[in-house]
Amino acid sequence: MKLKNIQVFAAAIVASTVGIGTASADILDTIKERGKLIVGVKADYKPYGFLDTSGAIIGIEPDLASDVAAKLGVEVEFVPVVSSNRMQFLEQGKIDLMIATMTDKPDRREVVLIPDPNYYSSGTNILSLKSLGLASWEDLRGKPVCGIQGAFYNKATSQNYGAEIVAFKGTAEAYSALKAGNCAAFVYDDSAIVAKVADPEWADYEMPLPTIDDAPWGLAVQLGEDAFGALMTDMIIDWHKTGRILELETKWGVTNTPFAKAMNEKYK
Amino acid sequence: MTYKSDLPVMMPPKPYEAEPFFRLEMRHVVPIAVFLIIGATMAFASDGDGKQSRMEVLMNWAPLLLKGFIFNLIISVSAMALGTAVGAILGLGQISLNRPLSAGSWFVTQFFRNAPWLVLLFFAMFLLPFEIDLFGLKIPFPDWFKAILGLSLPVMANVSEIVRAVRSLPSGQWEAAESLAYTRRQTLWLIILPQCVKRMLPPWMNLYSILTMATVLASIVGVSEVMTLTGRALSAEGGRPELLAPFYGFVLLLFFIYCYPIARFTVWLEKKFAVIN
Amino acid sequence: MEFFFEWFRVLYEETGINLPFLYDSYDRNRMFNGFLTTIWLSLVCLFFSIVIGIVGAWLQGSSFKWSRRIVNGYIQLFRNTPPLVQLYFFYFAIGTLLPRVENDWGGQSPMLGSFAWAAISLSFFAGAFNVEIFRSGIEAVPKSTVEAAEALGFSKLQIYKDITLPLAFRVVLPALNNNLVNLVKTTTLAYAIAVPEMLYEANQIWSDNVNVTEMMVFLLLAYFALVGVLVGGMNRWERSMKIPGYG
Repeated sequence: MKLKNIQVFAAAIVASTVGIGTASADILDTIKERGKLIVGVKADYKPYGFLDTSGAIIGIEPDLASDVAAKLGVEVEFVPVVSSNRMQFLEQGKIDLMIATMTDKPDRREVVLIPDPNYYSSGTNILSLKSLGLASWEDLRGKPVCGIQGAFYNKATSQNYGAEIVAFKGTAEAYSALKAGNCAAFVYDDSAIVAKVADPEWADYEMPLPTIDDAPWGLAVQLGEDAFGALMTDMIIDWHKTGRILELETKWGVTNTPFAKAMNEKYK
Repeated sequence: MTYKSDLPVMMPPKPYEAEPFFRLEMRHVVPIAVFLIIGATMAFASDGDGKQSRMEVLMNWAPLLLKGFIFNLIISVSAMALGTAVGAILGLGQISLNRPLSAGSWFVTQFFRNAPWLVLLFFAMFLLPFEIDLFGLKIPFPDWFKAILGLSLPVMANVSEIVRAVRSLPSGQWEAAESLAYTRRQTLWLIILPQCVKRMLPPWMNLYSILTMATVLASIVGVSEVMTLTGRALSAEGGRPELLAPFYGFVLLLFFIYCYPIARFTVWLEKKFAVIN
Repeated sequence: MEFFFEWFRVLYEETGINLPFLYDSYDRNRMFNGFLTTIWLSLVCLFFSIVIGIVGAWLQGSSFKWSRRIVNGYIQLFRNTPPLVQLYFFYFAIGTLLPRVENDWGGQSPMLGSFAWAAISLSFFAGAFNVEIFRSGIEAVPKSTVEAAEALGFSKLQIYKDITLPLAFRVVLPALNNNLVNLVKTTTLAYAIAVPEMLYEANQIWSDNVNVTEMMVFLLLAYFALVGVLVGGMNRWERSMKIPGYG
């Protein structure tokens, strides 16, 4: 078991005269008492979570979160998160549920509880200029590649394939850097890249490489919240059974992914 | 300071008053109006392929960005208030005669002055709990509150330095007070500090200006202020590169419109309170 | 040497204090390069901001109305807008407008990379403050001295270079010291445009290893040390250049 010595020490200094809020025994009770489900979603990842002009967060994942809130009979409140803070927010208890395009990885399962089955899947791929003619991942060696800070595949891409990762904090910055030519490619989830390639703005760009690390996404709740985890398992199975994921993909303009179709078949 | 001869080696340093860029007069109004009208028409012209023009997109998002900007201002005012309160106490601690207290205050001041603002902000965001239990009452610590705390740390250190400059008051004041049998505390509160407030005001306002601009750093730690909202708006618009200049230019304009009058006011204050030796 | 670093891996397994930039050679290289980049960026910006300060202060004293006004406009603009937004504006907005050149991976890149834009933006930002500082220093040189130099046949440039600047420098040093320290702290902003400096590398490491606390403490100590060295050096220089009896 990992001892977080320094964290405890620092927290003790900060909270020397007051107690620190601890997670409640069962979060479902807290949510029902509060009357609100606080969900962490992305706000800069079209179409999974993005803003409309009034500032509200919309997209596939906010819709899924609203389904959960409706099931619990409470309202939903969205907290925008980014890759580098989504797990921390959940750990701290700032959000009850996290549906934020997070890839399901074993070391993440040690930090948060990811209910099975997975609700979505995507792999890692790149967006690059057609004229560059990149054909294999090895072609990235020595080239600057844009990425998003906190994505797990940054380290893999730079260590295994020798690319120089240039990580930005938001997708807007990364896309503009790619367009400007500051990097040769943008390494990201293939689901987002597929949507971008279809956009006429990006007609000169392609997704040339084979998708690697096809990894399912996991939504997460706090470690130890087994009741909530079981509820989410039921919800996910229900989403696949009724084809809700496919429906939302079509609503927000994403071509139906093979994973979603396969899960729909499996649970029908 | 005064010199015995009128051929000194060096003059005392004075604050420099910059020539204003443009003094607005009636005869300037007509060309400005013409420029604005032509500029607006050109900017609102469509890009040609049926998409909304850049200015139209900017106008769509402008209300949201303005709300974000007001949030920035709230953060800056709160952080300034908090930092000033704690910093004043720290500054007085630095000039106290109690050795451990002055050494401790000095160390805290130097530590927070020398740390980058962004790193202190990260520190506050990640290490403070999101909620504290005060006698059974749960007090939530939202993101922006932690940003205020994080930003008030360097403000506190800088205010402490400004207050420490109290020592630069001519020593005659201290001695005169001593000869009139004021205690140290009475001297400080009744004689020294009222005079010093005038001297402290310009650097304090300068600090506020720096703080307002530093509130943009909160976007890096995820607070929903104007820069984060700009980034999200750009994402929602699909990351079109030609939108970058108008959006960021708009944010620059907002800050300029807010901070420039404050800078001019500070200069006016400096002249008004100029201490004539 | 390896033994020293391995001790930190043992530390991690025993107590959970995770310092991957010490025991993992990949992270260690990243962190070290980040440290060097921070120092290099600070030095470049220091140099250019001083140059901009000197040139700007000279232009402010020129007899042309418009050169004075343009310098003042530049100062007001750069002092009253956030450096982060200036950085974004330079890198994303202006960077895309510049012509592109062929680069070594077969595509077209803008002429200036992120490091160059960070250096330009931060130099202009610090330069705006420096112009005012140098201006107040120049004003501290009495007119009589300048007139005496003119009487001796010095040209304007020679007066500025040989008489005004050396005298002004001693007045300027405390304020310049303060400004340069701020500049070193402001280089952390370059993180936002992906310049691989210390904060950026620390962020990468804590994203991979989820050890935010340790990295934050390390960063605070590292910057404290860096700034402390700079402040100590500048204070010693100030003391050695001090004019006895002045100030």
